[in-house]
Amino acid sequence: MRFRDALQIAQAPVSDAAERMTVDLLCGFTPDQFRTFLVAQLRTRTADRVIDGRVGLFGDLVGNLERAAVSGAAPFVVVPIEWADLDARLGVRGLGGWSPEALGNIVAGVEAQLVRITSAVERIAATSLLAVSLPTLPLPPVSWLPRIQAGLFEARLRAAVAEATVRLAGIDRVRVVDVQVLDERSPLAERHDVRAELTYGYPYTAAHAAALSGIFATLLDPPAPKKGIITDLDDTFWRGILGEVGVEQVSWDLEHHSQGHGLYQQLLKSLADAGVLIAVASKNDQGRVDEAFRRTDLVMPASQIFPLTANWGPKSASVAGILAAWNVGADSVVFIDDSPLELAEVSAAHPAVTTLHFPKDDTGVVRLLEQLRDLFGKPALSAEDAVRLESLRRGAAVADAMASADPEAFLSSIDPVLTVSFDVAPGNTRPLELINKTNQFNLNGRRLSEPEWIAHLNDPEAFVATIGYRDKFGPLGTIAVVAGHRRGATVQVAHWVMSCRAFSRRIEHATVVLLLERFEAEALQLDVMATARNAPLQEYLQLYRTGEATLAPGFTVTRAQLSSVHPTLYHRIEDLGHG
Amino acid sequence: MADVRERLIECFLSVFPSLERDAVVVASVDATEAWDSLANFSLVTVIEEEFDLQIPSDDLEQLTSFASVEAYLASR
Repeated sequence: MRFRDALQIAQAPVSDAAERMTVDLLCGFTPDQFRTFLVAQLRTRTADRVIDGRVGLFGDLVGNLERAAVSGAAPFVVVPIEWADLDARLGVRGLGGWSPEALGNIVAGVEAQLVRITSAVERIAATSLLAVSLPTLPLPPVSWLPRIQAGLFEARLRAAVAEATVRLAGIDRVRVVDVQVLDERSPLAERHDVRAELTYGYPYTAAHAAALSGIFATLLDPPAPKKGIITDLDDTFWRGILGEVGVEQVSWDLEHHSQGHGLYQQLLKSLADAGVLIAVASKNDQGRVDEAFRRTDLVMPASQIFPLTANWGPKSASVAGILAAWNVGADSVVFIDDSPLELAEVSAAHPAVTTLHFPKDDTGVVRLLEQLRDLFGKPALSAEDAVRLESLRRGAAVADAMASADPEAFLSSIDPVLTVSFDVAPGNTRPLELINKTNQFNLNGRRLSEPEWIAHLNDPEAFVATIGYRDKFGPLGTIAVVAGHRRGATVQVAHWVMSCRAFSRRIEHATVVLLLERFEAEALQLDVMATARNAPLQEYLQLYRTGEATLAPGFTVTRAQLSSVHPTLYHRIEDLGHG
Repeated sequence: MADVRERLIECFLSVFPSLERDAVVVASVDATEAWDSLANFSLVTVIEEEFDLQIPSDDLEQLTSFASVEAYLASR
């Protein structure tokens, strides 16, 4: 992004309905040009968005942070830290002296400044989401050593920065710019605009500002992580055509010059362990594939793949079956194949699916693995990530049983338990994650930023109910969240989401009862809105429609309706307390 | 030269979006209220990008009007 492009994007008009995002830019340099880049980067993610917020005082990064910690910061805060903020002698605008005797004093000063910075950032993070970069510009030639030789002075400075990075990265709601990715996007030698720093107090080249602001924008407003990978087998999951070379000859190791396929399997397993769904769509003989998956040296075992589809039909049909089994939207899924033809066929049938080519060369494979990490990366793992695949399999079994047996007999026999909590523990990211990624049983599709979520949690009039589920087949984890306000005899519900893994268990009915009883209320007033994808929610609420009522904000469910609308409920309720 | 002038006008309009196109060619530090030191910095950055050049610090002071910038570009 050139600066001129950034200006045009930042100045583009917005509508009256534009979203407002308040972002403080707390830095020690002249902020205007970097702010333009940041606004442009945030608006490339959501064009109809107004970005406002404060900037701090020139040359006083630590003071800017400490004042924000005391007086309050915006919901989003960007903090680019540079060497000159830690000691003016490490910038080009100061002339404080680089004598050998001063070096120890510089290190001590840097260490002290970093302690103050991390402390202030930690306080701001109580209510704001922060993105922080540690020094990105080259150190000036302060030490007496030749630059090619690592000296104690530079090593101690870098150690202090590393220690601060460890502290910052461990704070909830603080996201630190990764040095390696910044190095990829912005070469070190092309970052510092010395003339601009001396003339205007602004240290970045336009290219570096574009790269750094792009990372900041992604950290503050990350794309929703993908949920599942559908992978081909031959010359993708392993090297070789199974039907031609046989089970023993497909390979994924150094010995057979097929390590790239082993690395791919290793990444798939890592993703599966983190809750990503992995399925196979292969043109193959199912029996032969099953035999291959009995090999014990597979890095990615069959037990972590669901469904494992092998047939001679078009892959788009296999993908359709897998999407149905997962019950996730096509836009949450990545399809990987070594054949451009297969990729094109799947893309034509499922345009929302992201299709990625599995390359022949090993360097290309590593690039693919990096791309997958970016597509599936998320700020934190939750307990539900570990049980997602198993609960999906159980969900399929429950649906089959419901379809083939007497539902009443089945549901009464599985010993269903709802665990309900009205307290969200600090660091529990699952409720917000559910609100922001659930599409089908979602009251209105409205997403929340972390600062908006924190504000809701801190609102004394507000409530959040999290609902977990287990039955005799095992736990599903936290599968539903309801958030809103109690207003007299009415409970106003602003958010209500339930994971599709929990469908068919009458949990939505139990949730209505639970809320009315918890708040001794007569009615739930729902901020419902139809979205392109919340048909299951709409279908459920149709049960409560009376007269001219429409599914729109204010739609009401009353206690009096329960007896006529609700089926028999078999859940046992475990109340985990009220926060 | 006509091409350089048009490109320069676009540079000015990106930094001073409230200026009318006709007013750009007579813009100057003294006559254009929005032309402060920060706007000057933005203008220099945009011009350097557009014309793929680096303007030395010593030359910045002479860039005080559209006409002076146009003349400076012609001299490079």
